[in-house]
Amino acid sequence: MLHYQPGDSLAHRLDPRTKLLFQIAFATVAFAYTTPRGLLAVGVLGGLALAGADTNPLRVLWAYRFVLPFLLAAPLVAMLTLGSPWLVPSEGVGPALASVRNLVVVVVCGGYVRTTSIADSRAAIQRTVPGRPGQFLGLGIELVARFLPVLQRDLLAILDAEAARLGTDRPLRERIATVATAGLNRAFRRADRLSMAMQARCLSWNPTLPPLRFGWIDGPVVGLSVLLLTAAVVRLAGLSPLL
Amino acid sequence: MATSTDSVDLVDGEIVGNIARAALFAALVAGFSYVSFPNPLAPNIPVTLQVVGVFLAGIMLGPLWGTSAISLYLAAGAIGVPVFSGGSAGLGYLIGSPTLGYLWSYPVAAGVVGLIVHRGTDLQDYTAVGVPLLVGAMVAGTLVIYAMGTVGFAVIQDLGLVESFTVSALAFVPFEAVKIAAVIGILRRDSIAAV
Repeated sequence: MLHYQPGDSLAHRLDPRTKLLFQIAFATVAFAYTTPRGLLAVGVLGGLALAGADTNPLRVLWAYRFVLPFLLAAPLVAMLTLGSPWLVPSEGVGPALASVRNLVVVVVCGGYVRTTSIADSRAAIQRTVPGRPGQFLGLGIELVARFLPVLQRDLLAILDAEAARLGTDRPLRERIATVATAGLNRAFRRADRLSMAMQARCLSWNPTLPPLRFGWIDGPVVGLSVLLLTAAVVRLAGLSPLL
Repeated sequence: MATSTDSVDLVDGEIVGNIARAALFAALVAGFSYVSFPNPLAPNIPVTLQVVGVFLAGIMLGPLWGTSAISLYLAAGAIGVPVFSGGSAGLGYLIGSPTLGYLWSYPVAAGVVGLIVHRGTDLQDYTAVGVPLLVGAMVAGTLVIYAMGTVGFAVIQDLGLVESFTVSALAFVPFEAVKIAAVIGILRRDSIAAV
């Protein structure tokens, strides 16, 4: 599983907002230039970005293996036709290029996950999204990250208990209802206790966040992101004969 | 830590409760993505409970907080909390994955289910709502999920709509009826603690 690991790579030292901007710019330019040459350039840039994040692309690929069947199936299905000649390879070119592009975008975004802590991401979101929605998202994200392992353990315990009582032999509908009901009850009980604890500790909309500062190192990456976005807009507006 | 000279802006008690429920619900939906049941018809396509969580969010938390809870789920996944299927995460899932349409449809579906069950944005007692309305709301939610999911797949994979539906949805559709029946079973149980 891909998760945050502390380190001192280039991407670790970047401000999380810079990394978010880069991911969006990278995806936009990949969408604008979905051609063999364009994707080669985008792939090289993505490789450099992952190297800057000290992240092994194969490890990220393994973490994202669940999307691979869809990426492989799309061009294959596009090539199939009902009736002779049954297989039209040229029909699969567009979807195959799209699959390559999507894979590159998903894998490059894995670099952010590995190099950014949840607390930094929270601070970035709360400072970028204005007002209450930003504050709600920031607080909520930290609570989700904190309670996911706890609820996962609850659900595993419920599944164990179900298996011990031969609940696994029950029909699917009943199994789903049993596991989900027990999970919901645990979650709501935890929510009530959490709500009480947060009120007792005077939960505020404006807590002190970890400091975020744009450093000299962010400059070139922000510049590159703006360049990528401009290149994408130029292409989408039909002005660029490049690639 | 950064210092702040602003006075503390306390969160209202009722809102604290709603935030806690929305966050725990988002974490539960994330936990559901780790729980898969073997599919009796096709063992290699497991049935997961995320969609059950989306329906329950709309029904139990209502359209506003249900949508907020599922939005939290997406936001947490985007910044790296391992909430998506198989414990994966990343902004790439929301902007470059072939299944992005399905993910973006979840908050919308929770809102649609909530709006229909509560007949507006004000919360009603969902235990008093009849089965036909609950089923109708969840069928509408399912339609939203598959419509947005199929269109998303078609756009991002450069495919036709029929082909997209075949690849991304066809194998999963029969189990939506089982999930809807399971949600009705959950809501009719006496042991459910939330009101």
